[in-house]
Amino acid sequence: MNPFTPRVTAVIRREFILRVRSKWFLLSTLGLPLLIVGLGVLSAFLAVRGATDVGEERRVIGVADPAGLIGDLLIEEFLAESLDAARATEMEELSIGEARTRLSDSSYDLLLMIPRSAGRRSAQMPGETPAGNPGEETTLLARDNVPSVIESSIRGALQRASVRARLRSVGVQSIDPGALLRRTSFEVINVTESGEARSQDVYRMLSLGIAFFFYFILLIYGQMIVRAILEEKQSDIVEIMVSSLRPWELMLGKIVGVGAVGIAQMAVWALVFALAAVYGLTAGASTLAEAGIDIASIPVPWGTLVLMLFFLIFGYLLYAGMFAGAGATISNEHDAQQVMLPITLLIILPFIATQGVIQSPNAGWGVILSLVPFFSPLVMPARLFATSVPVWQWLVSLVLLGVFVLGAAWVAGRIFRVGILMKGQRANLPQVLRWIRHG
Amino acid sequence: MIGAVNTPAIRLRGVTKRFDKKTAVRDLDLEIPHGSIYGLIGPNGAGKTTTLRIILDIIGPDAGSVEVFGSPNVEAMRTRVGYLPEERGLYQKMTATDHLAFFGQLKGLKRKEALARARAGLDAVGLGDRADDKVETFSKGMAQKAQFLGVILHEPDLLVLDEPFSGLDPLNVELFKQLLRERQRGGATILLSTHLIEDAERLCERVCMIAGATKVLDGRVRDIKAAAGRRDIALSFEGNPRFLDAPDLVEDISAHGSYVEVRMLEEADPQALLRRAVDSGALISRFELIEPSLRQIFIEKATEAGLSHEDESEDDEAAA
Repeated sequence: MNPFTPRVTAVIRREFILRVRSKWFLLSTLGLPLLIVGLGVLSAFLAVRGATDVGEERRVIGVADPAGLIGDLLIEEFLAESLDAARATEMEELSIGEARTRLSDSSYDLLLMIPRSAGRRSAQMPGETPAGNPGEETTLLARDNVPSVIESSIRGALQRASVRARLRSVGVQSIDPGALLRRTSFEVINVTESGEARSQDVYRMLSLGIAFFFYFILLIYGQMIVRAILEEKQSDIVEIMVSSLRPWELMLGKIVGVGAVGIAQMAVWALVFALAAVYGLTAGASTLAEAGIDIASIPVPWGTLVLMLFFLIFGYLLYAGMFAGAGATISNEHDAQQVMLPITLLIILPFIATQGVIQSPNAGWGVILSLVPFFSPLVMPARLFATSVPVWQWLVSLVLLGVFVLGAAWVAGRIFRVGILMKGQRANLPQVLRWIRHG
Repeated sequence: MIGAVNTPAIRLRGVTKRFDKKTAVRDLDLEIPHGSIYGLIGPNGAGKTTTLRIILDIIGPDAGSVEVFGSPNVEAMRTRVGYLPEERGLYQKMTATDHLAFFGQLKGLKRKEALARARAGLDAVGLGDRADDKVETFSKGMAQKAQFLGVILHEPDLLVLDEPFSGLDPLNVELFKQLLRERQRGGATILLSTHLIEDAERLCERVCMIAGATKVLDGRVRDIKAAAGRRDIALSFEGNPRFLDAPDLVEDISAHGSYVEVRMLEEADPQALLRRAVDSGALISRFELIEPSLRQIFIEKATEAGLSHEDESEDDEAAA
């Protein structure tokens, strides 16, 4: 039997048109791309500003090295980093507490205190983390907040000075410590069965992005369902509605109508991003190529995308059913927050789990979570992006999810049938359980 | 058409509904003939709304059977029914036309047809110029008109109205009654509930009285009144009131100067009293048998049945 009778489609149509025409829809649909572009521009701007700002700010660093372990090397390194530095001999006999009180009268903005004891062990150089020897830490006293750029310059200088000191102690002078400390890295390329190569980092980022997007959609649209049902009650219209259609038909219309709004919104986003991508390809391909990213070599995994859409839709239906049932037990905004909380947690938890699963997407517990309904709508799409998931796994996951969708719809329908006519006080749990049992 | 003429539009047999420990409707039998205006009367909390909801299949009875248009399948008749609940709202963000068209579509009208009827209906009640305004801009009276239009737009064969006149302004009361009579002339059956018994007395051909979840009485208003008998006499006269001292005829007297209300004993003949009055030489200017009001009958019957007749508790029976 086709559940989409004309009266159900009338409810869907009303729900859809009213919401798509609302200011909220316009703002959020255009707002998200604008927000993303805006954040990108803002962070780029801040990064540029931050770099130039630091350049303008001069800080004088005093080095207190009573044992004379690496003070001279350190000052060389600081000067090489174009930081003003000098030996602070007058501070060298002071304890940290005394130095603290004297700092504001001194000519130094920063004071790097190397403890006398630091060099006693040959295995340890100043700045290197002492293993369980309190009082041996090297300390940087600062009059003011230290910009992270300067902090990392100091760290680098200290590290190089330590290496040089160690080399000096074994009689090696001629090696550039920069070369010793050069960073190594490699790119991880996942090769699929068909020989397709994909950068693990890029896909890991994408899968986290997808999980976050799904999480966001489920949360926003789930809450919209509760609002939509609350609207029925608050506008005193629900009794007219249930004299014209069965409660479950009303529920179905609401869920599908709100879901259709979500699909419309995502379609707009997809379009915007597709346009941006095409524009970006023509305009920004060369800059990306400079950065070592060849856009054309990233294949669009259509199959995965379609599969993920199924998980999103099933996930939406699962949570929408629960939100609808919850919405039927209340009659005001205040109670809405309370009944939504447990369901919201059921969305947040899988999202947190996803972040762990992505780190090793084929670990046992990751596989299990991606099969478990409630977790699977977020975890499985993330895994689909991060690794090649065996067919049986996503198939089992989807079937289980489908079963839970039907179960949630059934339970929600029972709650809805009674609850939708309730007014005033929120129904308590025993009451709701009775509705589910007796219908 | 509406089905065989001799089957009632609505038939309830032994319907009982309990909410938790409270019985809202107890063993109710009801037959509502085709084409009648039928009143369900009783105080607040008597079980009227529950009865209407059971008829409309909004809630199911715990026991008993419901037939609408001769069929126990209430689902099939949804599009033929219009229901105006006591709590009647509108979606504030919709325009009046859109809203009414939406109601029409719920009742199986095609969208185009529903839109056309919505516009025509709004025109007919004088809201033509506000047809494309959002409902939230409407005054209370205008919203009431729109709500009522929403119930009759699809020309239902059965109209069910819960306290239709409560909270209405007087002009709208007249408009509603007029529209109801129109629908009745079009062949529709109208079932309404009210705790204002006078309303029902004026509008309904038949009534069912409910008190404390139980039916007290039902039938034609005319028959009910006839059965109650005409035992009250309004009497105006000049002369000696001695003739009223007649314990064989009179049960009770309330005198207001020359105007007297007399309650006759049951089975006593009013004509006998008139003869005695004439014989006593009193000059009679008025001697009238007064019909008891439905309210009086209701109170009497409810008291006889040992039910509280003025249970004016305002708690919503639906919330139980």
